[in-house]
Amino acid sequence: MEQTIKVGWLFNNMFNLHGDRGNLLAIRAEGQRRGYQVEVTQINLDTAIFNPMDFDFLFCPPGEIEHFEVAAIYLEPHRKELMDYIETRPMLVTGTTVALFGETIERDDQSTIRGLGIIEIETQENHTVYGDDLYYSCQYNGKEMEIVGSQIQMIDLDIKEESPFGRLKYGYGNNGETRFEGVISGKGIFTNTLGPVLICNPWLTEEIINLIESNKNWPIWEDHRDNLLELKSLKSKIAHIDKKEMRLKKLSER
Amino acid sequence: MKFYLALWFAKLMGIAINLVSKDRGTNLPGEKALTIDPDFVKHFKNIDYSKVIFITGTNGKSSTTNLVTHILKENGKKIVSNLEGANLLGGIATILAKEASLSGKLKADYYVFETDERYLPLIYAQLPAENMLITNLQKDQVQRNGDPDFIIRKLKEVVNPKMTLILNNEEPRSRFFEEIARRSIYYGVSRHDESFTKGADYPTQACPKCHHDMSFDYYNVDSIGAFHCDFCGFASKSTPDYLVTDLNFAKQSFKLKNVDFHMPYDLPFMFYNYAGSLAVCEEICGIAPAAAAKAFESFKNIGGRFEVLTYKNKTIKYMRIKQENPDTLQSALNIMASDQSEKMVALGLYVVNDFVPHYINTFYAFDCDFKPVVDSNVERYLCFSEHVSYDTANRLIYDGVSKEAITIMDSDDINEIFAEIDKAETDNIYLITWLSTFEKMKKFIEGGQN
Repeated sequence: MEQTIKVGWLFNNMFNLHGDRGNLLAIRAEGQRRGYQVEVTQINLDTAIFNPMDFDFLFCPPGEIEHFEVAAIYLEPHRKELMDYIETRPMLVTGTTVALFGETIERDDQSTIRGLGIIEIETQENHTVYGDDLYYSCQYNGKEMEIVGSQIQMIDLDIKEESPFGRLKYGYGNNGETRFEGVISGKGIFTNTLGPVLICNPWLTEEIINLIESNKNWPIWEDHRDNLLELKSLKSKIAHIDKKEMRLKKLSER
Repeated sequence: MKFYLALWFAKLMGIAINLVSKDRGTNLPGEKALTIDPDFVKHFKNIDYSKVIFITGTNGKSSTTNLVTHILKENGKKIVSNLEGANLLGGIATILAKEASLSGKLKADYYVFETDERYLPLIYAQLPAENMLITNLQKDQVQRNGDPDFIIRKLKEVVNPKMTLILNNEEPRSRFFEEIARRSIYYGVSRHDESFTKGADYPTQACPKCHHDMSFDYYNVDSIGAFHCDFCGFASKSTPDYLVTDLNFAKQSFKLKNVDFHMPYDLPFMFYNYAGSLAVCEEICGIAPAAAAKAFESFKNIGGRFEVLTYKNKTIKYMRIKQENPDTLQSALNIMASDQSEKMVALGLYVVNDFVPHYINTFYAFDCDFKPVVDSNVERYLCFSEHVSYDTANRLIYDGVSKEAITIMDSDDINEIFAEIDKAETDNIYLITWLSTFEKMKKFIEGGQN
């Protein structure tokens, strides 16, 4: 019988801002390359039964803050399950939606939204938008790597006692004042990196699939993906970052 | 007194700039006038706000403004409009200063202004228009606009019960404003030969009324089409007040309210501009579709997105898209895909460089369905443009294009681009890139490299 990787795609229609479906394409392609069937289930407000532990990988894309309250109400009964889930299983949460998994979200109009409290972060909506490249180093599933992407920041994060996912080499990161990028909690990645981060950084995709294989007691696939195209892309993007005019506080001053 | 100083200064500056170049000065005189009198626009005399029409939204503002103005002028109306597309407060101040008498009096039947959706509250504070057409509210220019809700909040600051709104029936976020306005008129387009659907793994959007998932039966333009929310019942009307029907691409014609129209441009997104313009002309200005029809024969759009070049024995069909805007990219892809003859596709998505910091974002391409293009008889792909060419190629690869079928060029050098075009066996070349590279290519051809 074919081995199946089960992927849960949270709020795919409600949270749909930056071509985020690319991440599912990346997971599916890498899973299929290794000979697995990849089954993607869309989870929305009308999904009657949601059990995080039914999935091997969860993805929650960036969304408009406008929808966070209803998303939080939907996920609240699963808070404990989600906390247990990220202890061992991979989850990727990107962009503004990171705030949904934190403690409170202070909006620009002074109102407050209560997050799920799965990670200990406080977030504040910014009055203006900041968009830029994002480049950092991180470690996932025991592997050091560099990630490049972009960030459209509408919310500042204060990560309190949580561990950052990445250490910035360039970019705004959590709030433009520290060198921290995102949060890692267990195997859950909470990052400001938008769009198809797993397409542009297949080394992260490979580690997510490696972790899934390990969780399922499948042998770890040893035939590595050909990442030449993405490595050339990374090099070209770093060249762009190195020569660009910037308005950020220098990393050395943070 | 400040107003008069500002007005005369703007008029003189406008004349001076016009002497240097007729293409310049659509913003500057107004911007300077606003530094002298910050309430400059508010102080013009004789403006009846019930005759002021704002045309706003993500896509289609300029074309709709141009068409409304053209129809009204052809019907003998005196119009003040910002046709050059200067759609911020400075641009509107410039045109008002130009059209006003030395004492600041204006005399026009209607004032038709394209207005930038982000700056609408600032404009409205000085010019409280009582009529507004919203074309659509889409993902666009995320580096400055963030997300559609950011823009919706800007519009909420302005829309009030006194207003008459002209709303796109098939675009949920625009339709949402019906809840606030006194009077809403709806326009739309019936399903036609180039309407399309997308697979289930292409997300739609949340219902703006209840947050649940929205479904689209089909799209006439990306993100615009017959929609419904199963949870709360919010849905497009099957017969909006102004509905473009009987679209005939071969005969270049359509109907609205049983009146036959010539179709000046057979591009699906233009159909909404036709419907919206006709709604404005009748509902606000009293020009019925039958009276408007003749103006369609002579309509020339300013600053269109399509251009055709002849290069050696090849035809280069250039399609300009808006950066960070999946809807304009999808429209361009659909046009390519509708041509089943052999073709070369040259894609030059590019670094977003509107302001500092310039940054790389080609991610909106993953919102777009490339598969119809991939299945439309493409001889070869060229992905060019510094720093983003690999991402562009990857987008194609994830829709089934083999790496071998793509030439990747991490450069914007037009000599190299033309060298690749030369290699193509087909004479049918489709090109998507930013205006700057296209202008260089055009000059290259006009310079005799042909």
